[in-house]
Amino acid sequence: MQFFGFHLMPYPYLTEKHRRDGDSSWITLSNQNFDPRRGHELYQRYLNELVLYDQVGFDGVCVNEHHQTAYGLMPAPDVVAGVLIPQTRGKIAVLGNAISLRDHPLRVAEEIAMLDVISGGRVISGFVRGIGAEYQTFQLDPTQSRSRFHEAHDLIVEAWTRPGPFEWYGRHFKLRYVNPWPRPLQQPHPPIWSPSQGSAETVDWAARHRYTYLQTYSDIGTLRRAFSEYREAAERHGNPAAPDQLGWAAPVYLADTDEQARREAAPHLDFLFNTLLRMPRDMFFPPGYLTMASAPRVLGAKRGLGEGRNDLAELIERGYALVGSPATIRQQLEQYASELGFGTFCGICQFGSLGHEEFERSVRLFADGVMPALRPAGDGRT
Amino acid sequence: MTSTEASQAAAGFAEQDRTVHETRVRVLSAGAGHPVLYLHDSGDLGQWAPWLSGLAGRYAVWRPDHPGFNASADGAGVDSVHELAFFYLDLMDELGLGRVILAGAGLGGWLAADLATIEPQRVSKLILAGARGIRTDEHIPDIFLLSPAELAVLTYHTDEARSAAREQAEQLADDPGRFERYLRNRSATAHLGWNPYLHDPKLPRRLHRVTAPALILWGAQDRLLPVRHARRWAELLPRTQVAVIRDAGHLPLAEQPGASLQAILAFCGED
Repeated sequence: MQFFGFHLMPYPYLTEKHRRDGDSSWITLSNQNFDPRRGHELYQRYLNELVLYDQVGFDGVCVNEHHQTAYGLMPAPDVVAGVLIPQTRGKIAVLGNAISLRDHPLRVAEEIAMLDVISGGRVISGFVRGIGAEYQTFQLDPTQSRSRFHEAHDLIVEAWTRPGPFEWYGRHFKLRYVNPWPRPLQQPHPPIWSPSQGSAETVDWAARHRYTYLQTYSDIGTLRRAFSEYREAAERHGNPAAPDQLGWAAPVYLADTDEQARREAAPHLDFLFNTLLRMPRDMFFPPGYLTMASAPRVLGAKRGLGEGRNDLAELIERGYALVGSPATIRQQLEQYASELGFGTFCGICQFGSLGHEEFERSVRLFADGVMPALRPAGDGRT
Repeated sequence: MTSTEASQAAAGFAEQDRTVHETRVRVLSAGAGHPVLYLHDSGDLGQWAPWLSGLAGRYAVWRPDHPGFNASADGAGVDSVHELAFFYLDLMDELGLGRVILAGAGLGGWLAADLATIEPQRVSKLILAGARGIRTDEHIPDIFLLSPAELAVLTYHTDEARSAAREQAEQLADDPGRFERYLRNRSATAHLGWNPYLHDPKLPRRLHRVTAPALILWGAQDRLLPVRHARRWAELLPRTQVAVIRDAGHLPLAEQPGASLQAILAFCGED
């Protein structure tokens, strides 16, 4: 098992009124709720927390991109990755750049190549479409999200691998000169990861390209389905999947006992699932963001993840979050890993409004009490 | 005669498929006389509206489903209202419609105005009901953030119309065919009007080309696109009259069909 530490950089200082009545923490929640002075302190703390993952023996750290939201303060993940390079030794995974949202995909090709060359080849490049609400953020036609994603991906990979200059005449991008400097250090290009919530189209796409597929915010049933679909697709495309290609990202919290862990995690999980992730369905899924094959099922469902109130005990029971003592989490991860066959785990050890001391204690318990047991014997890593 | 055809005959309209640029379009029609081409709004789920029958008493009324909407096929390559206007000019050729009374509601109103700037001589009269397509400084709701029920409530004004529409909206997902039409229409609307939000900043510069007299029909209590937009259309188009319909929201033709039809017939009867 390889381990990554994920950080969402949430903004915890929201009013009680918003927590109680706010219908969304995205796009419509005024940025007047963001206090830049507290923001400065938060960034210092959060960057230190990312560095801590690296220091205690995680294989890498993960940063991600979201816009106009208290859910995460990383609209520019490549900036955060750049700050982390001199402070870390392990991998830096940008999970991911929302390439459909960029005016120009070549900017992503350039930024990732810069990070890769500067870091000495430590960068992992995640590609995502961006969540539905982010098509409001940039007033980008959500019906074009998939085709922009695919063309942007194809253009970036060609820009990294094909000798330039060359011409590109696609549906969305038309370029007389594709010839970005620098080129990436890792050859043929940095590893590409595909974070997703499990859409059949994305699973198949990732398997076809042999990209690491990372399932986020899911119960165990969805995880099982997505991984088995990935393995089947990989077989079908003639590239049988290695365990490392299957990844799971989930909130994790450890304390000395299960009871203590649940008690301490509860308010922060509540803040994550019931405030930061809250969003009306039509904001979550703008028109055309889902294919017509899946839209009626998702949009006709009685309730979605961002609606109503999620019961925390049920979330933990279903595997949306791992909460417990080191022994419990170790046993759960061992069981899930052998049952579901994944070899990459991204722990979201900072979530909601979790304080720094709780974060650090939980991360150290995870690094000392869980990770070694799941490393291959004689691996040499801690 | 199938049962569908029988009910259509009873309602007095015919249905046919026509193909333009390999795109199949479903066209409803009724009546005889000078042709009226009606371009539907984004929320129209493909029905033949009763007020169209009223119009068909005097005119030959044509009501297509836009490409990408209802029973028409996806409109390959059509990615703006301006492109769609060219498609409609070709559909008019296909239907043998030389010069028409051109009417449109909401998104269809925007489309009608755009088409009339391209070939003004093919439009004898222009009727715009709650037309999208132009922007004022007045803040308007974002329909793409609204649930079906929220949209229904903002669309209509009278209590009866509003509660009926809300009830239908709340049951939308129970009828798979209807729900799929709603989702597909909404997606097609987004593709045409997501950016800039449901208007074309270049359109005002072309509107002087319209030669036909225009009727700007508007619901007095339109909350999706307040009546100020009617006055802006009147400033931009060369020959206009404005009819503000009382007790109506964004869809005066649906909410006050009697008064709306009366205004339209009076306007069309003028020389």
